[in-house]
Amino acid sequence: MSKYFEDLAQSVIAGQQERVKELTRQALDAGTDPVEIINQGLISGMNVVGARFKVGQMFVPEVLMSARAMNGGMELVKPLLVGQELPSAGKVVLGTVKGDLHDIGKNLVGMMLESAGFTVVNLGVDAGPEKFLQAIKEHKPGVIGLSALLTTTMLSMKDTIEVLKEEGLRTEVKVIVGGAPISQDFAEEIGADGFAPDAASATDLCKKLLA
Amino acid sequence: MTKSQYVRANYQVNATPQFHVLSEHQCENIYYGALEALERTGAEVHSRTALEIFRQGGCRVDGNRVRFPTRLVERAVSSTPSRVVISDRHGHRSMFLEGSNVYYGPGPTNTYTLDPFTGERRRPKKSDTVRAGIVCDALPNIAYAMDNGTPMDVTPTLADVHAFQALLENTVKPIIHWGFGIEQYQDIVEMAAAVAGGLAELQRNPFIVLYSESSPPLRHSEEAIDKAIFAAKTDIPVIYTPCTFAGGVAPATMAGSLVISVADFLVGLVAGQLVREGASFIMGGLISTMDMSSSILSYGATELSLLSAGLTDVARHMKIPMFSTGGCSDSKVIDVQTGIEAAFSILIAGLSGASIVHDCNYMEYGATGSLELMVMDDEIIGMVKRILEGIEVDDEHLAVDVIDAVGPGGHFLGEMHTMAHFRDFWAPTLINRLRYDGWKAEGSKTMGQRIREKTQNIINTHKPEKLPDEVLRQIQTVVDRAEAREAAKKISK
Repeated sequence: MSKYFEDLAQSVIAGQQERVKELTRQALDAGTDPVEIINQGLISGMNVVGARFKVGQMFVPEVLMSARAMNGGMELVKPLLVGQELPSAGKVVLGTVKGDLHDIGKNLVGMMLESAGFTVVNLGVDAGPEKFLQAIKEHKPGVIGLSALLTTTMLSMKDTIEVLKEEGLRTEVKVIVGGAPISQDFAEEIGADGFAPDAASATDLCKKLLA
Repeated sequence: MTKSQYVRANYQVNATPQFHVLSEHQCENIYYGALEALERTGAEVHSRTALEIFRQGGCRVDGNRVRFPTRLVERAVSSTPSRVVISDRHGHRSMFLEGSNVYYGPGPTNTYTLDPFTGERRRPKKSDTVRAGIVCDALPNIAYAMDNGTPMDVTPTLADVHAFQALLENTVKPIIHWGFGIEQYQDIVEMAAAVAGGLAELQRNPFIVLYSESSPPLRHSEEAIDKAIFAAKTDIPVIYTPCTFAGGVAPATMAGSLVISVADFLVGLVAGQLVREGASFIMGGLISTMDMSSSILSYGATELSLLSAGLTDVARHMKIPMFSTGGCSDSKVIDVQTGIEAAFSILIAGLSGASIVHDCNYMEYGATGSLELMVMDDEIIGMVKRILEGIEVDDEHLAVDVIDAVGPGGHFLGEMHTMAHFRDFWAPTLINRLRYDGWKAEGSKTMGQRIREKTQNIINTHKPEKLPDEVLRQIQTVVDRAEAREAAKKISK
């Protein structure tokens, strides 16, 4: 049965979505355990992609093609996971903070997280503290990620953290911040749990925080 | 003896080197691409004021989405002045943004500054903006001032107002300046009017240019577009700049990125022209690639130069002044990479004939502003300006008589002709051409050390012309009032 896994992983690395779907279907037809398909095939391929990206052997567009290929397989496997928990590295809620419409960086973080096996809830742009609050209650994420590009809007990050404290939710969730004007110092100053300078290290940060 | 010039026909002169990235037809094609995108896809606009202006102006408005009929955009382009003249603080007309004239200067809002005394990379303070004003004022090839970093030791929502005050009081050169929103823009215009001797004087000989950035692809925040509208209403020239990076917020192809850039500029332009037909607009501007490894918007990419020069060709086709980019780098310190990237981009921007070339201070993909880089760029700009002067060809410069007088095997060092012309060579101030021992005797200094010394020297010794006390008081009054307004907002929150 495991003969599919290596092929699946390679097809994910190559970003061949159709091939991944075809192999996933064949594996399922042959009675392979769906969870094994995800862990041994799809995620295992993505892990290689992540490692190669980090050392500069793969580039952002290639990583995204791989993630898309992996998701193509996931879509086929998911409906069969009735009663079983979908393997996930954790749940992350992401949003660009209030007053800010810049989102390419945040979306890149989202795609990187998904490709590393995280479940991502994307709140979009102009997300105020109440929106994060509601998302935490609804989705119960392990991490929330706040993004800002402007030196004015980055101040809204602190507001969100304060609101979490007031609502007694601060200890329920890790808060990470990022964006062009953000620094490690700033993150510490406003009481965030972490800062990452780019999308790839944001993934590492989430892994570390949820370990 | 003079070679007769009366025997010629159809003689053409290249007064400058000739350089174009795009042909007239290619420019037209990109412009049409932008018109099609605006008519078919339209743009998302997050300002009620702008939506109303667009609706009344005849655009198709559906929620936040605005689609622009081509005839409307074409009318806006044709009502935009093909030239904008910017004055200095005295009202002397000094920057003629027309044709292929090129003016260089720095860029704004970096979130870090590279301290020219300690070498430390740290958050900018208002005293750093004062330094920026002084250095812009002193450097001969820097045509205008911009802030070199957002000061963070002041009320955050008034960083723009404080930065403007610092520049206004420390340079007589024109100032290009940004603002968070309309209130701050009003403060800035009021301060400038105090210097000019009233708003009417400022409008007649503007020495400030306002600056606004939209968020491509095809998305315009309330602040961005309202600022363009404000500038048009107030009759102050404005630069509307979509920050377009290929592969990120624009297609990965050069032509596709140019389409996005032109289309997003046109959204701001149409709003402005609907408010005031004939309002002065300058087309921005920032266009490069997204580095697919680090995901930065690259300021050192060769594509930045290529795209900016292409966009400049399109701007000229549209007969609208162009705000281009150069003299910037992705390097973190003043090093060899900085030199390569800055020199290339300054040269290509110069050859392209862009009206304004900004960011001659941007390090670290724009995150850090550096006065040392501006000082180095001043030198590079000098070199490029010499290249742009081209080669003069007439009897005096052909010098056939002098060649005959010196004869075979002679030398020209003692000729009057040489005396009359050798100063046409560009003379370096930082580039070192000493012979080895001379260089050693002067301390074996690297270019980086020489740049740092010159920068420190300017800051320590250059004394910009002071504004009259009464004007300084008026400026301070505007700043104080802005502070009170922001404080009141905080309380009411």
